[in-house]
Amino acid sequence: MDTPHTSLQRRHLLLGAAGAAALTSPLSVLAQSGEDIVIGGSIPLTGVFAFAGVGINAGIGDYVKMVNDAGGIKGRKLKYVPEDTGYKVDVSVAAYKKITSQNKVHLYYGDSTGFSKTINPELDRAGTTLMAGASFASELNDPAKYPNQFLVGPDYTEMFGILLKHIAKEKPGAKVAFVYSDSEFGRDPIEKSEAAAKALGLSVPIKIMTPAGSVDVSTEVIKLRRAAPDYTIFHGYILAPIPEFITQGKQQGMTSKWMGTFWTMDSSTVMKMGEAADGFMGVMPYRYYYDTEKAPMLEKIRALRPEYQSTAYIQGFLAAMLFTESAKRTLDAGKPLDGKNLKAALNSIKDFDTGGLIGVPITISGNSIPVGRVYRADMKAQKMVAASDWIKL
Amino acid sequence: MTGNFDWAYLFEISLTGIAGGGLYALAALAFVMVYKATRVVNIAIGELLMVGAYLFFTFASMFALPLWLAIPAAVLGTGLLGAVIERTMIRPLLGEPPISVFMVTVGLASVLVGLVEMIWTADQRRLPDFMPTQPIMVGDAFLAPKVFWGAVIAIVFIAAVLVVFRFWRGGVALRATASDQAAAYSVGINVPRVFSLAWVASAMLAAISGIIVGSIGGISSSMGVFGLSVLVVVIVGGLDSVLGALVGGILIGLIEALAGAYLGGEYKLLATFIVLVAVLLVRPYGLFGTHEIERL
Amino acid sequence: MRIGTLKETYIADAALFDSRTQKVWLAVGAALLVLFPFMGSDYWLYLACLVSINVASATGLNILTGYTGLVSLGQAAFMGLGAYTVAVLETKVGTPFVLNLLAGGFVAMLGGIVVGIPSLRVKGLYLAIATIAASFIAHFIFANWKFTGGTGGLSVPPAKLFGMALDTSFRLYWLIVPVTLLMLLGAANLFRTRVGRAFIAIRDRDISAEVLGIPLLRYKLLSFGLSSFYAGVAGGLWAYFFRVVTPESFPLLMSIFFLAAIIVGGMGSILGGILGAVFMTMVPELLKLVVGLLPGGAELTVFLSPVRTVIFGLLIIGFLVFEPHGLAEVWRRIRRFFHLWPFRN
Repeated sequence: MDTPHTSLQRRHLLLGAAGAAALTSPLSVLAQSGEDIVIGGSIPLTGVFAFAGVGINAGIGDYVKMVNDAGGIKGRKLKYVPEDTGYKVDVSVAAYKKITSQNKVHLYYGDSTGFSKTINPELDRAGTTLMAGASFASELNDPAKYPNQFLVGPDYTEMFGILLKHIAKEKPGAKVAFVYSDSEFGRDPIEKSEAAAKALGLSVPIKIMTPAGSVDVSTEVIKLRRAAPDYTIFHGYILAPIPEFITQGKQQGMTSKWMGTFWTMDSSTVMKMGEAADGFMGVMPYRYYYDTEKAPMLEKIRALRPEYQSTAYIQGFLAAMLFTESAKRTLDAGKPLDGKNLKAALNSIKDFDTGGLIGVPITISGNSIPVGRVYRADMKAQKMVAASDWIKL
Repeated sequence: MTGNFDWAYLFEISLTGIAGGGLYALAALAFVMVYKATRVVNIAIGELLMVGAYLFFTFASMFALPLWLAIPAAVLGTGLLGAVIERTMIRPLLGEPPISVFMVTVGLASVLVGLVEMIWTADQRRLPDFMPTQPIMVGDAFLAPKVFWGAVIAIVFIAAVLVVFRFWRGGVALRATASDQAAAYSVGINVPRVFSLAWVASAMLAAISGIIVGSIGGISSSMGVFGLSVLVVVIVGGLDSVLGALVGGILIGLIEALAGAYLGGEYKLLATFIVLVAVLLVRPYGLFGTHEIERL
Repeated sequence: MRIGTLKETYIADAALFDSRTQKVWLAVGAALLVLFPFMGSDYWLYLACLVSINVASATGLNILTGYTGLVSLGQAAFMGLGAYTVAVLETKVGTPFVLNLLAGGFVAMLGGIVVGIPSLRVKGLYLAIATIAASFIAHFIFANWKFTGGTGGLSVPPAKLFGMALDTSFRLYWLIVPVTLLMLLGAANLFRTRVGRAFIAIRDRDISAEVLGIPLLRYKLLSFGLSSFYAGVAGGLWAYFFRVVTPESFPLLMSIFFLAAIIVGGMGSILGGILGAVFMTMVPELLKLVVGLLPGGAELTVFLSPVRTVIFGLLIIGFLVFEPHGLAEVWRRIRRFFHLWPFRN
């Protein structure tokens, strides 16, 4: 009678063990998956920067969805929590406070230079979050002062550097005029870029600052014409007053080539400039939506979204990609997800393939990605066409 | 001896400044129209300008109407808005201290900006080009055609308004209402109708100004900041003087251009505001304004 | 209409809080204020600090505009003066925060007096426009002077209390709210003195006030000075709260915000200043809540920012047209109703 008992016992044991195993394995799965990885966002869905904000929002959202559909990062899903800020710093800060009080936020996207600077002490104190944003301000490109932040591309001084390098190659010793807006955005790269120009053997005959919200730039155009530059770089604007400058400049017989920086260079923005802007050049660190060169990520984006997506979309998409990569590397190293480790993981990115969004493999050794290409506007084809190779600084 | 002073440069800058001042003068005229008739300081003049520009954009670009339809449509639409504003916000505050009405126009400015952002979003846009593009040359000095033609239109309107005020019954009624409401009532002038007329005319002038300003610098929901420079112009010229609007506009345009050329772009607004403070201290009623005597 | 409030001395008659009910409610309010930081989340603490700073600044503007009748659109500029003073002192000198706040108030006060000098020649709207000019000139100085960090602005290290850094909303609450309460008490007491009465006389008819023997220029400058002092201290608190001060931090729009706050709250009453500041700061939050509750809310968030702007304007217009004495008057009406209940009004 023992044998059936023991076999019964054993059966019970076996059943019990099986049951325990069955119970613990989902538990172990749970223990592994843990909480969601939260990406918070102060996004300018309305206000003057709305055209960018909407794109950024879509870009981050799409990438997060892609990652989650593929199973997340080591089984952990990404959660994207955006709030609209109207591009106002106090609203951005309020959104940050709200999101961080309701979620454990590991990664954050900020909408402006002002916000990134304001929130920096809070980021450093909390130490839980790695932040990127829509700003490319040179001031943020300082790993000592901004250890928990990074830029999703070159900073404005580096953008100027890329343009200046291209100019120095095309026309050594050329005269380059800077036209910029009277704002932090506009003033940010000017001083250092002037020095960089001189170092490349170029001269800067004039630097013109236009007051914010100015309508009539006729006096500035007269000053520009008298300086007779070979190239004119605009910075600190989105659209106005660049078309006016170009139109009046051409009317006055200027032969300067016209260039711009990231936020002017979205395809739809440049096309709004009208006929005057044929040949308008500028620096863009990413490929455009319609670029026909081989880029697997671009093809995925085109499959997801059949209509044109702005460069802001690509910026958001890339930010999410870099966030994901940092999180993945941190988890791979078995480290907890906090600001310091995420940043260290970001800085370990070397010769990383962005799937063709940026044309060359990238390395993030500091706070920025100093890579870009010069594009030129082809008004007939209504497209931006590559005018140089990928330049690395 | 300071060597060769660049007279040609000075002349060129001054020319542009004066022409630019013509634009200020037109917007200032819209402001003066309302103040002259109803004693209301309308700080939302810049926003009315913006509405006019956006309406033109809607009719000309979005609905693709021909110019000769789009411009009057935009102007009339803004005029209608002016009438609505007068009826709903200004009329109820008729006896209140002027500061209350001033604050109402501040609120109005916010409302208009918000409405524009809701309907057209805050993106910067460009208006379709319709002015001749041949640059104007005065000797060696170059003048941008848009600015030149804008100034010409402004002067035409100012001259028209001056004539209207002098000779037309409505214009005379406006001046009568401005100087003494009770007396105007007693001679049979329909004072409320005069008020509405003044606001409609002001809004229409603002719309024309907005279309010109918009075609030069593009349109955006922050266009209203132009109104601050207009405020300086009317203080300098005199809050209720049409001639003052013209002279003040040209003066401020010139000062801004010179400050921008010789000092730098960031000094433009500073220069205008310093002029404002100086005028307020020395001659608060402006160059041509009527001196208001405060009675106990 | 309150019964049973017989006063036997002048001092008792002029007291700020005279009835027992008032004192009881004040005690309850104080208790709530003390308990709040332990109950609220970080976000609510952040809002509370912001509201407090706005109340302090609005009270300052109320002294100038509500009680003395001098309309000013320069409140933000004076806050900027205070904020920059605190920022410069904290980064370059390192003096304790109490000193910095007082210095900030003092510098702003000087600025206010300078702006107030034309107020004898220039009245009413012209003065308002002069304050706009002052606002721009201040902005120019902040943006172009290397000492104030130019357009990049200054980063402010946290205030230190006995070595402990006040860097969370919780800790800052204990700095900001008591300072605000002190300032409110000061303002309320001001209007029991002859200085306060002189201000009110100037508002009602300044020529008559001069006939009565009130030296106009001196009292107008005093009013400007006091109100800018309040703005300066509020600006200093702002600097410690946001920890970054840039020229864009104090735009003309902020001055308009404060003017709107006292209009909506009720000019010429301390309670009005408080109600107005609280209301105007919380309206955007309420709006977000309402939009979140509406069906189809996700699409509507795109309209949140412009709707905020429209509502801001509509509030100003609405209160001026329908309720010129503001929320304070609404509150008084409610109180009157309950005093007279169950009798009909």
